Order: sequence, then structure tokens, then C-alpha cells
Amino acid sequence: MARAATTSDAFNAIAEPQRREILVLLRGGERPVTELARDLGMSQPQASKHLRVLREVGLVRVRGAGKQRLYDLDAHGLRPVHEWLGGFERFWSGSFDRLDEYVQDLKQERREEPPDGDDQ
Amino acid sequence: MATTSSGGEPEHATADREIVMSRVISAPRELVFEAFTQVRHLSGWWGPEGFTTTTRSFEFRVGGAWDFVMHGPDGTDYQEWITWREIVPPERITLLHGESRDDPNAFESVLAFEPAGDETRIVMHTVFPTKELRDEAVEKYHAIEGGEQTLRNLAAYVAELTRNETTPKGAES
Repeated sequence: MARAATTSDAFNAIAEPQRREILVLLRGGERPVTELARDLGMSQPQASKHLRVLREVGLVRVRGAGKQRLYDLDAHGLRPVHEWLGGFERFWSGSFDRLDEYVQDLKQERREEPPDGDDQ
Repeated sequence: MATTSSGGEPEHATADREIVMSRVISAPRELVFEAFTQVRHLSGWWGPEGFTTTTRSFEFRVGGAWDFVMHGPDGTDYQEWITWREIVPPERITLLHGESRDDPNAFESVLAFEPAGDETRIVMHTVFPTKELRDEAVEKYHAIEGGEQTLRNLAAYVAELTRNETTPKGAES
């Protein structure tokens, strides 16, 4: 089956698991390629190749800092993915996360109340 | 993680203007339902991470409304207005969700609470009057969620989502 070029858009770029790993690592802030390669257990040329793909679709950006080149997540490139997921879904997904936590607290509270403890 | 399907059934007439989401919450449904019924509960979880709410008025009954402001983590305020159209404890809540009392773009969401063993599955079904209004709502909530931090979080979210797709565990019905 013919595959779309990984550099055609963000979706194709993040179809590759190691590139998604890179994005997750970059959530914490900018990193040099050496650190990324080490954390992912890959060679530096491999990591650089992935970073090049991510750069071409606008998911990461790079800046020189002395001898180092620092890579950073470029949130702008995620916009098509975000829109595809949909703000509404994301809104509710976040709310449901918080609801789950909230209900766990509520459950705990009820457990600690005496069994005949009624609402006032 | 919430499972989402937007327009998943091509033969369905409303497919391009509806959003269906479901989520399992590990608590009995009476308790989950209760978290929707009082403002002190709602304000404890409404909105994604980092959001808070300020309530102007709240009346949980059919025809009553929750008039409130949502405060985003970046300091932006959003007007919200919700009215309840149907309340069937502990099974179902139908609400109309907009920005103000007479918001012509308000949309209806039906939340169904289904027992799933000791847990509760919430299925939320939202049908927008038109596809354009659906897209607008997606855009609006996109804006509400906007900001670098959210997009950073999204990278992890997308990674997880895709990972879950490749290694299915406990497939959703």
C-alpha cells in the first residue's frame, strides 16, 4: 500500500511512535539532540532524522545556543491535529478527568461519614 | 480516557453535526449523577484542568439555569449559560448549553448515566442544529482550550491515543 510521505503533514509525522516519544519528551522544554537520542535509546543520526521530519511539518523548531542546537515543541504545528480532535471533545475530556477525581473524593467523604449521617 | 466519535456513522442523518463521547467513571451512578446536581460539585470539576468557575445563579430543575463565568488558566473569562431540559435521576440529564439566555447557537447535550458493574459509563450525545454550528462549537472550545500549555499537553494526549489504538485493551463496545 502506498504511504504518504512522513513530511506531508503533522498526522503522518506523528504516525511514527518514536517521533511521538520525541514530542512527549519536548513537553518539558527544549532539549539538545544528544539528550533526546540518549533518552530514546537511539543513535544521534536517527534522532536527527526524526527531528528533521518533525521540523518540516512544523511540530518542532530549533535554535542555536552556543555549540548546541536546541529543539523545542512548536505548538502551532499541532493545530491541525488539535482541530481534528476537536475543542469540544477536548473540553469535555478534560472535564471528565476532573469529574472522575472529584467523584473519588466524594466517595471517600461518604465512606468517612457515619452510616446514619443524613443531609441537613 | 474518554472515547470520542464524531460523525462515525455515515448512514446517520445527523452524523456531521453531532458529537458522541463516553467515559467510564469508577463510582456508582448515584454518586456520579450527584456531581452534576449541585453547584458546589459542578464548580469542583467543570472545565478542563486549570479552570475555575464563578456562579451568578444556579437552579437545578427542569427550566432552571446555571449562569456562570468560566475562568481560564490564562485569565480569560468565558460566559456560560446552561438550562436543564430533562432531569431523570440517576439516569439522564438533558441540557441546553450556550453563552447567554437567548444564545441562538446554544446546543443540546444528553448525558446518559449507565451502570457498568461498580462503575458508571457516561455517554454524552450532542447534536448541533447545523454542521456549521457544530464546527463553530468545536472552534469555540478550541479557543477556550487555546494556549501553548494545552497544545503541549495535547502532544502527550495524541501519543497516548495512538498508542491505545495500536494496543487495544478492553475494547470499548
